[in-house]
Amino acid sequence: MTFSTDFDIRFSEEADLPWLEKWFAEEGACDDFPFGEDEKAQALKNWIGFSRFKASLTGTWKGEPCAIGTLFLMPYRKVAHHASFYLIVAPEVRNKGAGTSMVRNLLNLAKTQFRLESIHVELYEPSHLLPILEKLSFKLFARQENFVHQNEMKRARLLLEYFFS
Amino acid sequence: MTQDLVIRFSEEGDEKYLIEWLLEPGVLRWFPLCDVREVEDAARIWMSYAKVKGALTAVYNGIPCGTATLYINSYKKLSHQSLFAIIVNTESRGKGVGTKLLSELIALAKERFQLELLHLEVYDGNPAIHLYRRFGFKEYGFERHFAKEGNGEYLGKIMMEKNLLE
Repeated sequence: MTFSTDFDIRFSEEADLPWLEKWFAEEGACDDFPFGEDEKAQALKNWIGFSRFKASLTGTWKGEPCAIGTLFLMPYRKVAHHASFYLIVAPEVRNKGAGTSMVRNLLNLAKTQFRLESIHVELYEPSHLLPILEKLSFKLFARQENFVHQNEMKRARLLLEYFFS
Repeated sequence: MTQDLVIRFSEEGDEKYLIEWLLEPGVLRWFPLCDVREVEDAARIWMSYAKVKGALTAVYNGIPCGTATLYINSYKKLSHQSLFAIIVNTESRGKGVGTKLLSELIALAKERFQLELLHLEVYDGNPAIHLYRRFGFKEYGFERHFAKEGNGEYLGKIMMEKNLLE
């Protein structure tokens, strides 16, 4: 029995919020996102709010949510041909292919459902997501040093994009 | 003109001027907005920073002619840096308004908000890029297909930054 046998993906629901909250209760979970511990409650509500537009996917393992990936659609028409995304994978299923599968499905959702032309991602270096995105042919288009100040650490912001051919 | 030019903190009532300037012919080419609804939404967000004294308005002979705002970050780990935006109404361009506004905005960023990094986004081909370069902003990224006009034409976005500690 492999991980993928029991792994499935469905549209997210607002009722998935407690899972996001659970994964973000882990120490350091906010490190790769712009919000911090004191700010995450509202940020996670906003995040799951995109499930109303069918722009969010929930990965399940053995029937329980184990990952959430969400397209943040742009509000203005001139820039509505692209979107960014957030992704989190539950600690217990990391390094089993869930992240890659989630990104592939988000790309498919963006292309087929929303007819987007490209997808952007903002990462803070170092990032666990970077190798997955590079493997999927995302390309770097901006790098900004000292974008994040976290404790004593200064981290660069990386902006990557993926174009649908 | 600059002798009669006053820079003050923006006020709620300045929003209507901002909307007017954005809707002047040709201006929206340089913004990711395409109709009155989007302009009003963007102007509301822009002017919301007036409440924290993060926005400045240039006034000539008692009449507003330009504005600039710091999009102050509410997230702590990003609060040392800020994106900003600036606009000068069409008839006041080329008279030093942008220079004075940007100079005061940088001072505001350093003194009131203790910012270390300022950054901006400007469309490829926008003459305002000369002002930013003159102030020492350096390019750190370029997004080729950022905006898509109604005719299918794409406009690239140049991303620039200035380290305020240097």
